[in-house]
Amino acid sequence: MLPGTGPLRRGSTSWTGTLVRRGTPFAALAAVFAVQALASAEPVVAFPLYLTVVLLVSLQQDRAESVAVAIVAAIALLIRPLATAGQAADVAPAVLLSAVLVAVAVAMNELTRHSREAAAAAQQRVDDLAASERRLRATLESAAVGLALAGPDGTLLETNEPLAVVLGRSREALLGISLADVTADSDREALAGGLELLGGGDIVRWDADIHVVRPDASLLPVGLFMARLPNPISGDESLLVQLADISARTHADSLRDCVAAVRQVVVSSAGLDGALPELLRTFCGYLAWDVAQYWAVDSDQRAMRVRNAWNASGEAVDGFLDASRTEAVVQGTGLIGRVWRSGVLGAEEDLNDVTDYERLAVAQSAGLRSVVAFPVVAGGEAVGVIELASVRARGLQDDEVTMLVTAGVEIGQFIRRTEIAQALRRSEADHRAIYERSPIGIARISSGGEILEANPALLLMLEHDEETMRASAWPDLLRAYDQAAARQHKAPFLAGISDGRSVQVRAATGAGKWLWLQLTATSIPDASGRPEHVLVMIEDVTAVRETSDKLAEALGAQRDANVNLEKIDRTKSEFLSIVSHEFRTALTGIQGFSELIRDGGLEPDEVRAYGGYIFNDAERVNRLIGDMLDLDRMESGRMSMRATDVDVNDLLMEAISRAAPSAVSVEFKSDLDPRLPVVTGDRDRLIQVISNLVNNAVKYSPEGGTVTLSSRVEGQFGLVSVSDTGIGIPQDEISHVFERFRRVRSGAAQSIPGTGLGLTIVKQIVEMHGGKIWVESAVGHGSSFHFTIPLVAEDAKTLQLRHA
Amino acid sequence: MPEEITGDGAFRVLVADDNEVAQRLCKRVLEKAGYPVLIAADGLQAVDIALKQRPAMILMDVAMPGIDGLEAMRRIKAEIPAMPIVIASAHSMASDRERFLAAGADNVLSKPFKLSDLITIVAQLAAAR
Repeated sequence: MLPGTGPLRRGSTSWTGTLVRRGTPFAALAAVFAVQALASAEPVVAFPLYLTVVLLVSLQQDRAESVAVAIVAAIALLIRPLATAGQAADVAPAVLLSAVLVAVAVAMNELTRHSREAAAAAQQRVDDLAASERRLRATLESAAVGLALAGPDGTLLETNEPLAVVLGRSREALLGISLADVTADSDREALAGGLELLGGGDIVRWDADIHVVRPDASLLPVGLFMARLPNPISGDESLLVQLADISARTHADSLRDCVAAVRQVVVSSAGLDGALPELLRTFCGYLAWDVAQYWAVDSDQRAMRVRNAWNASGEAVDGFLDASRTEAVVQGTGLIGRVWRSGVLGAEEDLNDVTDYERLAVAQSAGLRSVVAFPVVAGGEAVGVIELASVRARGLQDDEVTMLVTAGVEIGQFIRRTEIAQALRRSEADHRAIYERSPIGIARISSGGEILEANPALLLMLEHDEETMRASAWPDLLRAYDQAAARQHKAPFLAGISDGRSVQVRAATGAGKWLWLQLTATSIPDASGRPEHVLVMIEDVTAVRETSDKLAEALGAQRDANVNLEKIDRTKSEFLSIVSHEFRTALTGIQGFSELIRDGGLEPDEVRAYGGYIFNDAERVNRLIGDMLDLDRMESGRMSMRATDVDVNDLLMEAISRAAPSAVSVEFKSDLDPRLPVVTGDRDRLIQVISNLVNNAVKYSPEGGTVTLSSRVEGQFGLVSVSDTGIGIPQDEISHVFERFRRVRSGAAQSIPGTGLGLTIVKQIVEMHGGKIWVESAVGHGSSFHFTIPLVAEDAKTLQLRHA
Repeated sequence: MPEEITGDGAFRVLVADDNEVAQRLCKRVLEKAGYPVLIAADGLQAVDIALKQRPAMILMDVAMPGIDGLEAMRRIKAEIPAMPIVIASAHSMASDRERFLAAGADNVLSKPFKLSDLITIVAQLAAAR
């Protein structure tokens, strides 16, 4: 059985029907056989009858049945010849006929089957097409978008309900009219082009955003899609048309584009006044408003006035704009005043229904129907209000409200930014002026230590041009700073200056003038806190510094003088103490022995001895007084000198002959240079010098010691030496031997008399002659006193003059 | 007092002074008054004699070669704290007197002195013994 044949055609049949149908051929064969038998007819005679039955069954029944019928018929044909004696001549035609019957049945059966299959296939195609058509229709009807079938020229053949809704017409009204009839004038040409392309077979689909005209003449933006639809049955071309209302999308697009445009304007503008015309134009253009005005708060903060306006409509609204220009809006009154006070968007969707609109009459006469006003918010308050007006009565959707409020905030931020930028510019200009005109030198230094900028005062102060300043003067100054800072234990210039402490350095100007400069450095950190550059203030403190230096000098001198005075005072006290001690020591003997003599009861020998002690001590006191007076005169420069020619060698020989008789335990030697010339000096004083040195040498020499006097020429000086082999002077005492009352006190020197002023006087006399005196000594080996006396007469004259 | 001149009970005075005239004067006066006298010519000698011969008292000059009288006094007092020491000095300002007493002197005799003052000071110390 082929699918979809039997049951589809015949419907359901009862088992009896089936039995009758199946049995009928066999009954017919039986009838033929009976007739043949009765008539004893030849198989050839009965064959047409059998063939007829088999043919009929083959046409009507299936293959198995028809073959079965044919075999039965064949057997019926063969029965009689076989039964009647089996003559070969009789049997052979019967067999042939039987075979023909079976063959005919099979052949017929094949034929029948082929024709049935072809018919079933044709039927299937028809059914499929019908189903497809049903589905298409269902799709058309149930689609949410507007769909239509149209002819190649755009004539609408069939439409669905959504399409009718989009076009604002009934489905019936649309049938037969062309797409072009409902397309806006501006888009009709584009549509015609699209149809032509589709019709020409160049393309199979075409789409565009166009506007359609609704019966009320309003335009609606739609997305139009057309596809070529071949009809395989008719061969005609048709078009599938899809129309979608994209007004919502278009609206959202325009809002988005408007915000983008507003941003573009504020980004590319320097200030509000420059941006306003473009901003207002943007609102009108993108959002289809006819008039836009910007209201700004007056400088006295008491009213708002129109600062800028845009007319996208025409002369009709000029009156309204004029009225707006003269209006001063008070906070809280009218639409603008309310928006100003509340800081939220306000709208009048239909001016025919309101009373609280400040320019109601002029607005109405200008044909305006709707207005909306939204605040421009900067720093939390409304600094301006943008008012949009339309000749159409239009409602405001939430997204448009949101968009306008957003734009107001962004414009407010823009105003704020420009104000800040202006303030910054002003501030920068102020600072620049300070920098340029400051009497103090200011330089900006990079973190690498290079000078970035130097103000005119600095260049003037240092007498350098910018190039020299950069190349050499500043590096020098930087080095000087670091050196001065190091001395004060401060950080070097580039090592984290933040304390702003000052360092004073000495620097030469371009003209070679030396200045004292006070450098005060402050590091300026960048946003991340790292020192970005260093600002250094440079002041010329030369005058201040010189004054303070002079003051310090004066103070120092004063202090030195005080120190000297104190020293003199102390020296005087010490001197007095020593002198009184010396006098009292001498007076102890004088007073004590005098008292003994006065009280009497002494032996004559005792009296003589005590008298001797008294005399010696009295003489010592006298000598002391004389030495002190001499010294005082020498030190105060009041000592008179009698300059004569002096032969030093003579003086030395005289000193030996004077001392020798009283110093029998000491041997004298002389080593005199005969070339030593006669010098100019005070003979008596020079004798005093030599005698003093010789006496000292004798005094400190032990028994059997040697005292040597020598002279020789040393350049421009005569050198005289007095050496002994005595006790010597300890190292720590050598530097003090020429001081007053610095007698060497040692065990062996205790009994040696002296005033303690001798060597001090000697030194004074030598120096008055322009010479020097010094001593070399080793304890236990003796001492050598050397002094010089100038050989040049000039010095003697000076000496005379000085001491005249 | 004559009985003290000789014998173990004698009140011996050590005179320490670098000035020979002063030595002679003191020796003459004190011996006449009945006090045996020992002589030291500098500070070290004074310490040496004081410690070895144990005089009854010491008359000590200050300005002496070597160690001065005050240093000698300090050394002696360190060994014999009870040793009476009288400083006899030509440093005779008021401040000097205070200085010597503060350094441990039992009495101070300013030079030049009256002979009776010397005798009185020594006699007082002799009587106190």
